[in-house]
Amino acid sequence: MKEVTIKFTLNGRRAKVDVPSHWTLLRLLREKLGLTGTKEGCGIGECGACTVLLDGMPVNACLVLVPKIEGREVETIEGLGSRESLHPLQKSFIDHGAVQCGFCTPGILMSSRALLENNPHPSREEVKEAISGHLCRCTGYQQIIEAIEAVGRKA
Amino acid sequence: MRFALCPLRFNNMIIPPFDYKIPKALDEACRLLWQADGKAKIIAGGTDLVIGLRNGDLYPQSLIDITKIEELRKIEEKNGTVSIGAAVTHSEIASSPLLRKFGKILSEAASEIGSPQIRNLGTIGWNIINASPAADTIPPLMVLDAMAKVVSKEGEKEVPLGQLFKGAYQTSLKPYEILVQIKFQKPPSDMKSSFVRLARREAMAIARMSVAIALRMGQKKGLTEDIRISLGAVTPTPQRMSDVEAYLKGKYPDEELLKMASKKVSEAVIRRTGIRPSTSYKRPVVEALFIRAMRKALEE
Repeated sequence: MKEVTIKFTLNGRRAKVDVPSHWTLLRLLREKLGLTGTKEGCGIGECGACTVLLDGMPVNACLVLVPKIEGREVETIEGLGSRESLHPLQKSFIDHGAVQCGFCTPGILMSSRALLENNPHPSREEVKEAISGHLCRCTGYQQIIEAIEAVGRKA
Repeated sequence: MRFALCPLRFNNMIIPPFDYKIPKALDEACRLLWQADGKAKIIAGGTDLVIGLRNGDLYPQSLIDITKIEELRKIEEKNGTVSIGAAVTHSEIASSPLLRKFGKILSEAASEIGSPQIRNLGTIGWNIINASPAADTIPPLMVLDAMAKVVSKEGEKEVPLGQLFKGAYQTSLKPYEILVQIKFQKPPSDMKSSFVRLARREAMAIARMSVAIALRMGQKKGLTEDIRISLGAVTPTPQRMSDVEAYLKGKYPDEELLKMASKKVSEAVIRRTGIRPSTSYKRPVVEALFIRAMRKALEE
């Protein structure tokens, strides 16, 4: 077992951690850093619940081994808006009833954030494509799509 | 039995310990791989590998991450040759203006792999080396007549892509060899192409069947001058449908001809795989998918 020191940017702040080199980013976030907003749904990169942004790109944190994030930017759901000041996406999700159990929500919010960063006014097809790596067992996706589209329209 | 080999069992998140090395240059990577004597694995995106580590399917002593090696990350066109580094991701291939222009069929195929998250990490190198019969980048590369550049401490070599595959999930690569680049000739500007894919879902689903077609209509009005066909997920290793290509060449591709050709396609597949329980389903579907791909290419 080898521990490595990883320096990276986490939600805009410089971070330095000592962590076993075989850990996934998901495990680092949840178990070492206490950032449990990112969820483990399947552990094999098929459900999207563990989605975080790596250099602005949505990735499955369960598939990223920690040495890979050296020198890179990681954004998690904890970095999206705040309790006092919700991100427009978060507000829209609430307004459109896009959150039921909430388990898939952090991942989908991260993918939507990346979508709107690159494409502020996405079409319905583009929204669907952006969330195509996410499973939701509760909502049936309709409200989620509408919530994201609504933010795209307002921007 | 496998579990006994994994030293750390914890909450289904077990991944066995290993050394993680990130070489900055190709010769360093080759050296590390050579020295590891079969006990190291190359990692790029890791979307398949990390799962293998978790399952206990793989237990290397070290991983060699090749994503920081500049030359493996480039998409270039020089003197009519398009080259793609093995560590280029599917997202990069899907969105590359260069490839959308000079390798459209590959770009389109790459854009349908997995999900956005998978495409942001997964690379063309692994898609090839893993040699899954259902790999999506391979049929397009077969119709583009791609060459694979392989490097090791022993030197470098370029082989036609099709020659890399020995069987399903088996390549002829030695443990100390690294696939570094894929290249193909810039297609002529009047080349039309299409890639169609059949899967259980619209996304995040392995291809059950795919067809890649590239063709050129000649000066002689409406006759096919050049045609390349390769199917995915229906044969253990990739191949070009050379008999069907020869059949279609020089002829006018009307519905009748396409229908005849589609029968030859399904016959060729069955000759290769033998009759299986799924054949009575797959035969008409292969034929229909082939015709769909032909129509799509012709309409371009």
